[in-house]
Amino acid sequence: MVRRKAPEREPAARSLRKRELPIDPYEVPDDTDSPKRHRQTKPPSTTTRSSAPQDAHADDASHEAASEAQPTVEPTPTKKRPGRPPKASFMNGQVATPSALRQKKVAETPIKLKGINGVDTPSRRNFADRSARRKSARALIDRVVGGAISDDEGEDGGIAREIYESSEDEEDEEEQQSQDEHEDPNPTTPSKTPWKRRKATRTRKRSPTPPRDLPSHEQYFYQNKPGLTKTSGNSLSSLDLLTHEEYFSVLRQIKDLHARDVQFLQSLHSESFPQWTFELSQGFSACLYGYGSKRSLLHQFATYLCAKGHLPQPSKIVIINGYVRTTSVREILGTIGCAIDPSYKLSSGTPVALAQALLALLSSTSTTIVLMVNSIDASPLRKAGTQSVLAQLAAHPQIRMVCSADTPDFPLLWDSGLRSAFNFVFHDCTTFAPFGPELDVVDEVHELLGRKARRVGGKEGVAFVLRSLPENAKNLFRLLVAEVLVVMEEGGVGDVAEGPAVEYRMVYNKAVEEFICSSEMAFRTLLKEFHDHQIITSHKDSLGTELLSLPFRKDELEAILEDLMS
Amino acid sequence: MAEKEDNAFQEDDHRAAYVFNPLSDGTAAAPSAGAAPRPAKRRRLPSKKAALSGGSEDQPSGFVSAGFLPLFNGLESPGAVNLRRELFEAAWPVLEGRVQNVLREANRSTLDEVSTFLRAAEGEKDKIPAGFIITGPNIASQDLLFEQLAETLCKGSQTRFVRLRSAEAPNLKATLRKIIRDATVRVTGDNEEGDDVEVSVGQDGRRYLDYDLEALHVSLKLQQSRRVIIAFQDSEAFDNGLLTDLIALFHSWHDRIQFSVLFGIATSVELFRARLLKSIARHLFGAQFDVVQTGAVLDSVFKSAVAGSHALLRLGPSLLRSLVERQQDQVAGIQVFISSLKYAYMCHLYANPLSILLADDARINRELLQAEHIEAARSLESFKTHVEASVEARQLNHARSLLDEDDYLVEQILEQARKRGDYLLQLLRSLHLIAASGLISTPFTDLYITALSEGIDLTSEKASVLDPLQRLGPDEVISLIHRLLSAIENGSPELDLQGWESDGDELVASLSEIRDEVEALVEHAKDNRKVLKSKYSAQSRVLRTTVVAQKVQLSHDTATLTDEDKAFTEAIDRLAGLFSQNVNCEPVASLFLHEAWVYDSKSPYRDVFVPRPGITLSRALSRPNDYLGCTCCSKANGTVTATMPTTAVLYHLYLEAGALINVADLWSAYYALVGDESDIGMDERTALVHFYRALGELRAMGFVKQSKKKADHIAKLKWI
Repeated sequence: MVRRKAPEREPAARSLRKRELPIDPYEVPDDTDSPKRHRQTKPPSTTTRSSAPQDAHADDASHEAASEAQPTVEPTPTKKRPGRPPKASFMNGQVATPSALRQKKVAETPIKLKGINGVDTPSRRNFADRSARRKSARALIDRVVGGAISDDEGEDGGIAREIYESSEDEEDEEEQQSQDEHEDPNPTTPSKTPWKRRKATRTRKRSPTPPRDLPSHEQYFYQNKPGLTKTSGNSLSSLDLLTHEEYFSVLRQIKDLHARDVQFLQSLHSESFPQWTFELSQGFSACLYGYGSKRSLLHQFATYLCAKGHLPQPSKIVIINGYVRTTSVREILGTIGCAIDPSYKLSSGTPVALAQALLALLSSTSTTIVLMVNSIDASPLRKAGTQSVLAQLAAHPQIRMVCSADTPDFPLLWDSGLRSAFNFVFHDCTTFAPFGPELDVVDEVHELLGRKARRVGGKEGVAFVLRSLPENAKNLFRLLVAEVLVVMEEGGVGDVAEGPAVEYRMVYNKAVEEFICSSEMAFRTLLKEFHDHQIITSHKDSLGTELLSLPFRKDELEAILEDLMS
Repeated sequence: MAEKEDNAFQEDDHRAAYVFNPLSDGTAAAPSAGAAPRPAKRRRLPSKKAALSGGSEDQPSGFVSAGFLPLFNGLESPGAVNLRRELFEAAWPVLEGRVQNVLREANRSTLDEVSTFLRAAEGEKDKIPAGFIITGPNIASQDLLFEQLAETLCKGSQTRFVRLRSAEAPNLKATLRKIIRDATVRVTGDNEEGDDVEVSVGQDGRRYLDYDLEALHVSLKLQQSRRVIIAFQDSEAFDNGLLTDLIALFHSWHDRIQFSVLFGIATSVELFRARLLKSIARHLFGAQFDVVQTGAVLDSVFKSAVAGSHALLRLGPSLLRSLVERQQDQVAGIQVFISSLKYAYMCHLYANPLSILLADDARINRELLQAEHIEAARSLESFKTHVEASVEARQLNHARSLLDEDDYLVEQILEQARKRGDYLLQLLRSLHLIAASGLISTPFTDLYITALSEGIDLTSEKASVLDPLQRLGPDEVISLIHRLLSAIENGSPELDLQGWESDGDELVASLSEIRDEVEALVEHAKDNRKVLKSKYSAQSRVLRTTVVAQKVQLSHDTATLTDEDKAFTEAIDRLAGLFSQNVNCEPVASLFLHEAWVYDSKSPYRDVFVPRPGITLSRALSRPNDYLGCTCCSKANGTVTATMPTTAVLYHLYLEAGALINVADLWSAYYALVGDESDIGMDERTALVHFYRALGELRAMGFVKQSKKKADHIAKLKWI
């Protein structure tokens, strides 16, 4: 109630307080602090003041304003009334029943009101600390007020102090200094020791380096502490991101420092080929894991197996590239079927049924099939259905399976049923070999950065696509490129997000003029072709005008245009 | 070189699947390789089948022999290599057969119960008989059970058995199709490729859709059988709706086709029923069957395959313990245990040249043992301890001959085969006697492992066998002796232990003597209307309470023993003495040359079956030098150097970063390390390519993902 009163009396002071207090709304009010004194000097006058409902309303409003304006006093512990449902009382207050009861409520609620209202909700990260801090603040104050501190209480006080300060780390050194100074001349401060302690804890907590050598789960909680994720605002905008073209042209010139070591490592692994062969012959499947591409290792292994009777005859090796985005169970089964019997044609049906038919076919021959799966944990193969088909295949006595896994979590792919069907033996095959076709680096990184994935192929890609299209498609694309370039030169039309764009209608008109197409239908058909290859994009602007744009940079466009003209 | 290879099979690398062709290097010929030889192969199918049955035996063996390499850096003689191979080929299939037998036996009672139930339910008109088989959480071992069920239930009677797995039953149509196909294909017998169209043509030439149960009905009518059993192997994984539909459908066909269903249930019947609609559940009438628990199965597999006298190779105690612990802690199926067992055999015979000593005397001779074998034997730990022990025992000649004379050592080596047999016999007999005595409740598995690691010594403090033995009453003593005698007489079929009455006639005689004596004493005591007791038995101790000066005093008092009691006590003492004398063995590690026939290495097992890819990966990335062994990064010692592979550098930075990573900062940190001003002096674009590649790899390995919180930020995903 004092709180309510105070702003009315001296708004200047309130606003002042409002400005400085959010830094630490729970600051221990020492004796010089105002609110407390206010409370003491101005005994509650509310009850006498508002007896009419009208008045109460005004009161309520002002009170609300006050509560919004004044985060300060909230934690002052003496005000707290435990056990009241604050929300309900607030509602009651709104109904404005003019009665003594209501008035009483009005007089009592403000403290809680604010918190529940959420007007003054401090940032979320403080929320959890709040009650602990409030309690410790109260403990401290009680002690100050009580004046008498015995030695055995000292420890408790220390803890309370520590809790209270635990989230003050961000405070400035200066501020602390001033506080200390502020504290010093005050002879009534009951004990100095907690403050000394406080300094000690502060220096400990302020250490800028994160704790080292934490176990990983601790590390997780440490790094996910709310509020700790502070990163700079730097962005990559100044950096010219790589295109496919540039990536590959630079990549070709890079000489790997470790090429020899990688080669040596691979030769070490290849010494285990006889062992793996033996394991395969005993009905185990081998799974190679570890960092680095294992594609060429598997390829070597396949060569080794073919070399001199390491496999019973007749036998076939089928290599499956799990990382290829289009990999499907059907294709895998088809290839295996082809390996068993070249004239074999897959029937239709579910993959499981297909696999069964395939295994029946296999059982009727004496062929041994070695399945080599590159990156069995790549996303195209991750579906449970695919894995169970693979397991079904691996469990067949005439099929031996070797696979490689790149991610660290690959064992999660299989439950115990699949695992025993696969009958895996695992080998650490860390190769450090660079990933080649497994990884579309540029797309992968751009996707990671949230940039629009530049389309695959760049200039060559466009040339490739156009080569297979009819003449007027080429002409249309040339027209488009030219128009877009013109727009680029002029700079301006089209929004920034989509790059410079040209109006659909305008392009159509020009196309008709140049006899590229005669009807809108034909025009659409041509555009659709471009869309399918992702070499144009289209969107509507705010007015609904259809715009066409090309997902290329200017120099690329120029190069394309040059190609098209020549 | 890598680059050249890259070019060679580049095209294939972008195909989802292809047939490997070593000759063409996969460039042009690979795609056409499949299509080229097209001569009519279909016709040769039957003949191929014949070839399979005839030729299958020698082909795998040819394959295997290629697998065994000469050891000792290739110096091992072909004879020794062959011997190892033959040993493996002889040992494992025998053991595997026995294990399979044990597994099949374990399910026997369940099978009987299920088939009895189904037979009894044959006449059921309104409801579908349903067997709920509680298989336990391990779905890996279900396969065998259902295979056996199919065998048993189809035998003789005109019954069709269809096994369904959730993976094969995505929707109603596909499931029905599968049911109909499976139920009708069996009818046509061995021609598994019989076209479904044929089957689904009825007598009157009508054709049915392949998911129409009418087709099944017609085909069953032709075969004069009306019964179809559908087994849902992993019922928990089936879709609720699908189960409901199927059961409703079965029920509506029940008057024409007699359906029975079996559910493999991992949790409990209650949970299962909670999933079904009441109206559907009403169609079922069922019984619950329990499958033998994995623990019991493990015990019998252990007895026959690990401890049994048929097991050629002994697994050492520490390996065994970790195997058994894995069975208990993780719910690894019994199949995993068997695989591990097999792998131990493979490891030992494949990689240990001394494993030829496992062969019996006839196969192994002086010529087979090369200088390298002898050298290897001398370097064994047990050889050293043996020599040291004999020096201490002042058998200097023996020790010197072992060290210097090859022939003497060979003699000793050959002799150890016999000693090994003796040791194992003694071990198994002791264990069998302990188990037969029923005095301690430790499972056999633990008993065996402890016996191997610490030996059996009943007189020692730790042994807890003698104590309960001494406390036995006279009747129990007699029955104990009976049990022991019958154990000696019959041996143990589980352990493959023959009775050894003839060997142990002394023991048998003394046991019978004690038994007769105790029986006489009992008779005598009965005449005197007294109870026979020994000084160890609880009754002989009397707790005496006396009240002295209003305080209760407790005192133990030994009751007086009669002469008969004393005689009985003495008999018990003799029995205990006899028992501890006959039941003993040394720890296996104390035996000379035990390395040749005991395999106790945990690391290959752990590496191969319980991989830790996360740790491996993070080690590779945080200390690449461990793998690469290059000079340039050797100084790093856990920190970052510019020469490290880029991914490793980024991984270090990644570890230091918080949950959210600013890629711009990551890039500048990386560029500061390798850029123009560093030792390496990479130009920006090259560095950026490296950076891209590493970032792409980190993403592919699941370390980071895109974050939408801030521009150019990525979120950390792994805390290894």
